[in-house]
Amino acid sequence: MKITFPHMGNIYFAAKTLFGDLGIDYVIPPISSKASLELGSLHSAEEMCLPFKIMIGNYIHAIEKGADTVIITGSCGPCRLGEYCELQMNLMKRLGYNLDFIVIDSPNDIGAKELLSRFGKISSKSTLSKTNKIAALLRAIKVINLVDEIEAMARNKAGYEVNKGESKKILNECKKEAMNCSDGKSMIALLNSYKTRLENIEADKNKNPIKIAIIGEIYTVIEPFSNLYIEDKLMDYGVSTHRTLSPSWWLKNLVLSPINLNQLDIKRKAKEYLPLMIGGHARECIGEAVLAHDEGFDGAIQIFPMGCMPEIVSKAILPQISKDKDFPILTLVVDEMTGEAGYITRIEAFIDLLERRKDNVLSRC
Amino acid sequence: MKVGIPKGLLYNNYKPFFHTFFEELGAELIVSSDTNRDTLNNGVKYCVDEACLPVKIFHGHVAEIKDHCDLILIPRIMQLREREFICPKFCGLPEMVVNSIPDMPRVTMEPIYAMSKDRLFKWAEVVGHEIHNNKGRVKKAFEEAVQCQLNYKTGLNDETSPMKVALAGHPYNIYDNYINMNILKKLRKLGVGVVTEEIIDEDAKAKEIKKLYKRPFWSFARDNYSFTSIAAEKKLVNGIIYISSFACGIDSVVIELIKQNIEDFPFLVLKVDEHTGEAGLDTRIEAFVDMLERRSS
Ligand code: SF4
Ligand code: SF4
Repeated sequence: MKITFPHMGNIYFAAKTLFGDLGIDYVIPPISSKASLELGSLHSAEEMCLPFKIMIGNYIHAIEKGADTVIITGSCGPCRLGEYCELQMNLMKRLGYNLDFIVIDSPNDIGAKELLSRFGKISSKSTLSKTNKIAALLRAIKVINLVDEIEAMARNKAGYEVNKGESKKILNECKKEAMNCSDGKSMIALLNSYKTRLENIEADKNKNPIKIAIIGEIYTVIEPFSNLYIEDKLMDYGVSTHRTLSPSWWLKNLVLSPINLNQLDIKRKAKEYLPLMIGGHARECIGEAVLAHDEGFDGAIQIFPMGCMPEIVSKAILPQISKDKDFPILTLVVDEMTGEAGYITRIEAFIDLLERRKDNVLSRC
Repeated sequence: MKVGIPKGLLYNNYKPFFHTFFEELGAELIVSSDTNRDTLNNGVKYCVDEACLPVKIFHGHVAEIKDHCDLILIPRIMQLREREFICPKFCGLPEMVVNSIPDMPRVTMEPIYAMSKDRLFKWAEVVGHEIHNNKGRVKKAFEEAVQCQLNYKTGLNDETSPMKVALAGHPYNIYDNYINMNILKKLRKLGVGVVTEEIIDEDAKAKEIKKLYKRPFWSFARDNYSFTSIAAEKKLVNGIIYISSFACGIDSVVIELIKQNIEDFPFLVLKVDEHTGEAGLDTRIEAFVDMLERRSS
């Protein structure tokens, strides 16, 4: 058995740690790219959402490198992601690939026993003792938390750094070197050292950079290829960005949601505009928009794939929030046709707008 | 009290319930017109661009009546059956409407969970209270409404027609003749009868759905998948026509599941949006019927 998984942001660091330490054979698909998307689009129904297509591309690339088993999570909220696995399984079979799927579903839907047996399928391939398996899992969780934390810090610091481009450089270096680590322990040590480095970069506390919150559909905000690396671009403009959704957020949310202690602040903030869970992460999107305003951000950018049902609902609500709070929000819809030039123009125009607003406020006082 | 009822989305399926409930409470009903060009234009004007045609049309119905009533019914249908869902846009429908159409009167925000009478009554209690203070009266209106709904059946079954197609898709695409450009009439004129998913009983559907690795958690998916699957397998019809709207995320999955399942059974997907031309649609229907005729002769 050679395991693979679809890309979603920094997850591959955790996967490397986990499978590496467990001693299970695995393949990390090549980083999502135009090639993955083209391959995925070629084989998927046209109206499937972008995440589906990129994921198919990931699988095929991983199979080329020897993978025979995919792990995916199927969420049972009222959105498409939960229906992916069935279609993806059939699709891969029709394409003639012999790919095993291990679907990690919520225990509510498939029963705790079935869930454990699916986990067992993976972990039985490891010769480690039970305690050591758990230790490996904990290290993987530590890794994902650290990478996400480092990334968030770098994105924020980009607005304050004295030496332009330093945070981005450190972030990229960190990711590159982490992939060269031989095991979880050394990766954690490396990540910690990079964290310290980032904490200590020279920052100008008096700077008042533009601050933008990145909100929207979870896959397209987390997987950088799908949003045309928007966060990297904003770093280049010296903009400070913040994004709540990340793999580590998702994990924490998953653990806390059965006891209803997950993301209380976001739910509270969303209440006035969207009090119910409607599927996907629409309520988070709304809550984050309000929160971003309250926390003094200059604006928010909503990103979602063409045809994304829950985010279309958010998009209908956001203009009202924007109006009520005098808070600019830009919506970017991405799909395989998104042209880079037009996309960048819109982002630049938005930054210009935020800058002008900032100058006006300053000159008024 | 004037209560506005938009004739969009699942109106056709649940009209006895809503009509009876509000009438029993003594409300005056303001019902929008059958979908027409103005409905569509208003819908396109107010609704977010990215939305699907049925949701846009729903906005159009609301816009037509909003200035003439005190309260508008916006059925936020969350679930019809246990562990199944409808569509994110239904769940967020009131928010979409009130944030998109200016100067709205009050609307019903309460979610509808229709998997049991008790859960459904929660909706009736809250909404009924807005109209009438008397709890007994609300309860009575609710009971009447449920009764009327239970006596009401939707579904088409041109049993005797020698040539038949299964008409699949969301109910509003099947029953709103403006959305589907009178497909029923068109088919019947070509001598083709129509049957819809209601002809399959619930048990058979449940059994059919079990064959999937993962139970679809959308009610629409469950109905359409099992209906087409049984219709094709048992040869209840000569072919299947699926009416869908562009930008419907659910259909993008369901149609794929169906295609993979029925293999080469005749299957036509008609996708509609505000730009769909009737002539093109006609041609495709005619070509499909020709094909069915060739196959059966
Ligand atoms: S949330 Fe949007 S992108 Fe994700 S599965 Fe649903 S429709 Fe697709
Ligand atoms: S099910 Fe499809 S057609 Fe119906 S409201 Fe949802 S997206 Fe639109």
